[in-house]
Amino acid sequence: MKRKLFALLSLFVLASMVLAACGGAATATEAPVVTEEPAAPPTEAPVVATEPPAPAFEGTSVSAESCDYGGEFKSIEAVDATTVKFTLCYPDPAFLSKVAFAAFAIQDGDYLTEMGGDSGKLSEAPNGTGPYKVAEWVRGDHITFEANPDFWGDAPANQTLIFRWSAEASARLLELQSGTADGIFLPSEDDYETIEADSNLKLYPYETGNIFYIGMANTIPPFDNDKVRQAVAMAINKQQIVDNFYPAGSAVAEQFVPPSFSPGYSSSGDGAKWYTYDPAAAKALLAEAGFPDGFDVTLAYRDVVRVYLPNVNQVAQEIQAQLAEIGVRVTINKMESGPFLESAAAGEQPLYLLGWGMDYPDATNFYDFHFASNATRFGNEWPDLVEEIKAAAQLGDPAERQAHYDEVNRLIKEHVPMIPVAHGTTANAMSAGVGNVVMGPLNENFEQMTTASGQLVWVQSAEPIMLSCGDETDGETLRACEQIYDSLLGYEFGGVAPVPALATAWQPNTDATEWTFTLREGVTFHNGATFDANDVVATYAALWDASNPNHKGNTGVFEYFTGFFAQFLNAPK
Amino acid sequence: MTQFLLRRLVLLLPVLFGITFITFALARILPGDPCYAILGEKATVEQCDAFREREGLNDPILIQFGRYLNDIAHGNFGESLKDGRQVTQIILERLPMTIEVTIGAMFFSTTFGILLGVISAVRRNTAIDVGTMFGANIGVSMPVFWLGLMLAYLFAIVLKDTPFWIPPSGRLSSGITIPPLAETLDLQNLSGLWGTLVTLASYSVTFNALITGNFEVLRDALWHLILPCVAVGTIPLSIIARMTRSSLLEVFGLDYIRTARAKGLRERVVILKHAMRNALLPIVTVVGLSVGGLMSGAVLTETVFALPGVGTQLVSAILSRDYAVVQAFTVIIALIFVFVNLIVDISYVFLDPRVRMQ
Repeated sequence: MKRKLFALLSLFVLASMVLAACGGAATATEAPVVTEEPAAPPTEAPVVATEPPAPAFEGTSVSAESCDYGGEFKSIEAVDATTVKFTLCYPDPAFLSKVAFAAFAIQDGDYLTEMGGDSGKLSEAPNGTGPYKVAEWVRGDHITFEANPDFWGDAPANQTLIFRWSAEASARLLELQSGTADGIFLPSEDDYETIEADSNLKLYPYETGNIFYIGMANTIPPFDNDKVRQAVAMAINKQQIVDNFYPAGSAVAEQFVPPSFSPGYSSSGDGAKWYTYDPAAAKALLAEAGFPDGFDVTLAYRDVVRVYLPNVNQVAQEIQAQLAEIGVRVTINKMESGPFLESAAAGEQPLYLLGWGMDYPDATNFYDFHFASNATRFGNEWPDLVEEIKAAAQLGDPAERQAHYDEVNRLIKEHVPMIPVAHGTTANAMSAGVGNVVMGPLNENFEQMTTASGQLVWVQSAEPIMLSCGDETDGETLRACEQIYDSLLGYEFGGVAPVPALATAWQPNTDATEWTFTLREGVTFHNGATFDANDVVATYAALWDASNPNHKGNTGVFEYFTGFFAQFLNAPK
Repeated sequence: MTQFLLRRLVLLLPVLFGITFITFALARILPGDPCYAILGEKATVEQCDAFREREGLNDPILIQFGRYLNDIAHGNFGESLKDGRQVTQIILERLPMTIEVTIGAMFFSTTFGILLGVISAVRRNTAIDVGTMFGANIGVSMPVFWLGLMLAYLFAIVLKDTPFWIPPSGRLSSGITIPPLAETLDLQNLSGLWGTLVTLASYSVTFNALITGNFEVLRDALWHLILPCVAVGTIPLSIIARMTRSSLLEVFGLDYIRTARAKGLRERVVILKHAMRNALLPIVTVVGLSVGGLMSGAVLTETVFALPGVGTQLVSAILSRDYAVVQAFTVIIALIFVFVNLIVDISYVFLDPRVRMQ
């Protein structure tokens, strides 16, 4: 029996190998790795006496009939090969910060059309202008980037950049300690001491531009009473929360925006400092409001770790204990993330813990979304607050904007829609052998980091979803795209200021409704195509115009586009 | 035999239907909204409504299930909600890694489990026996996740800069790569079953390296497999060792073993030829059942060792409520489990002639 079995097995294996070797001609199978298309072999060009004249540049444009559709863009026009003009429906002082974002990276217009704007297809062979080209994407395992020899900026310091990922912070740290990685994203707070004690490693803390706040809905009693909200604000010992539950470098929040936001953060005036922690005064104010014995309330939150709230359960318990001191009896309601976000946004939670991390470095990203967008997360909006926020968002002059934001901060303190508690910090860790490292809230300078081997291995917490980011929101995905693509502008390494990238200069009109960008010359995409103004128009048209054939993306939601620029052109009803 | 196999295969259908339905229902009953998981927490209510409508998530669950069954019947596991890729392709990419770990762990646990079990049984009530069984008890009590981290810490950090250093994670060392098997063997144009098999083999780095004679990659791949296989194989090893010991001790007390010894046969022949064959039946059952444990252990192990297998994909899909991927992978794991048990049943016939297919 055994012999028969062995013979049968052998026959099967042999037959399989023969069939596999012979069956060569059918349809294509999918390859396991995504690599760049090999370049076509060079062919000898026939000798010509004179070069044909370069075809004249034909600029393209896309425009809305009117601004009634509700979005920010009126038109985008390629004035000439190196000039592109954006006309806006209303002034936007944050426009430069927005166009520098990685989700608005410029694609080769022809390639975009060839791929039908499909993020999946664009990710198979990404084609950008950035410092690195994709050499290989082994799904689930790693992405290998190779230095782009035609990069318009300084040549990348390392020839190879490898992105790997591991969901576990402890596993990422093991990689760094063992020397198989040169840098890791977001080590666990508990491991900061270990990293700092290891001479082979280095911790790089950085601010991320965030706020953790305690929200209150002014439509739900007793929070419909201003004095109740103010009393609760006085009863929270923010310093204690930050000291006990946040990593070193985190700060007590005095205002809704972080101190680095200028204009936005008030350095003086009534709105510059939040209520002082004073439980006795809080109790008195509560009695004045008609609640001498306090009241019962439910505190809702989701058990999700964020930089702005790294120890959510402990913070919830601490707030419960602090409010008990003034007689407010808190019942904790830990909710699942999706339902919690929906109910908080709908103003259904009287008291809740939430936060915000910046998308782009401008105060509008904080104030407008939360207090002046017909949102109901704090109940009904306050008209005076809305007016000031909208006024600040229409101005180009920083000093004038700051004057409005000073008033905004004063009004927030007066109305107390929420209690700003903390600005959290985070950190990445690198091998001590990696030089010239700059970590910031919006990017990392991988292209400038130096290693002895000429190869840098970075381990982040998740695999990028796509390598084309117009329709992506995930930070791990955007980080990978930043290596491949460039936007019109970029962000300075380690900071938040927009700096030249594919555009070398820009000029707004007087009321900041027209922005004219001068584009960098001599830039080529990874596939050799020349970059010009039509690529900018094609990229933005695909994002903006829902009827554009290239408006496909991944999910088709293009969340950042509508988040930054309000509405699609030709949006489906 | 044929009748038995056919009957078992037919019986698989209701089992698979049940698994599919339970997985499908559980994925939807569990709390969590794919919209926020996929689009991010800043998605608006309107964006989420549009997303659910487009993905058919607003339809009644039975209609969704019917549509899903229809797709499966046509060999289509659907598309990932997260990145729109075909789930079948994702399975082909991820399954080989898990199979490699499972086979490696099975090899480790079976070889050493049986060996330790035999030694324990032969040296019954000696220090070796007590020590081995004590070790087995510890092994069976250790969480895979913790053991994985400890092994990685020991071999990657403590033994760093020694010849015993083993990489803590990843499939291959950075910079080492292997072209797809189909490309190397010029089989890119294969389609159908053969194309699928070649694609599957391509993603098995170890098999690919072995077939193509790329020994540098093979060595690196095996080197990276050591810790995951040991981590995931430790619990089954302990169970197999204990089962082998008790099974052998039971057989040692039977008359035919006494007869064999009375005939003057060498002890090695008595143990390996006469005792082991009878003792194997419960051991094989345990080995078969432990495949399920190895597959579920792989979910944790792959996360610790950052391996691109079913486990990491499944965890990621569960966290992002990627229904199509969760369902497909669960069905595939169940299928493997069921087939392994079928093979175990069939193996009884060859191990013990008294067992007949009924």
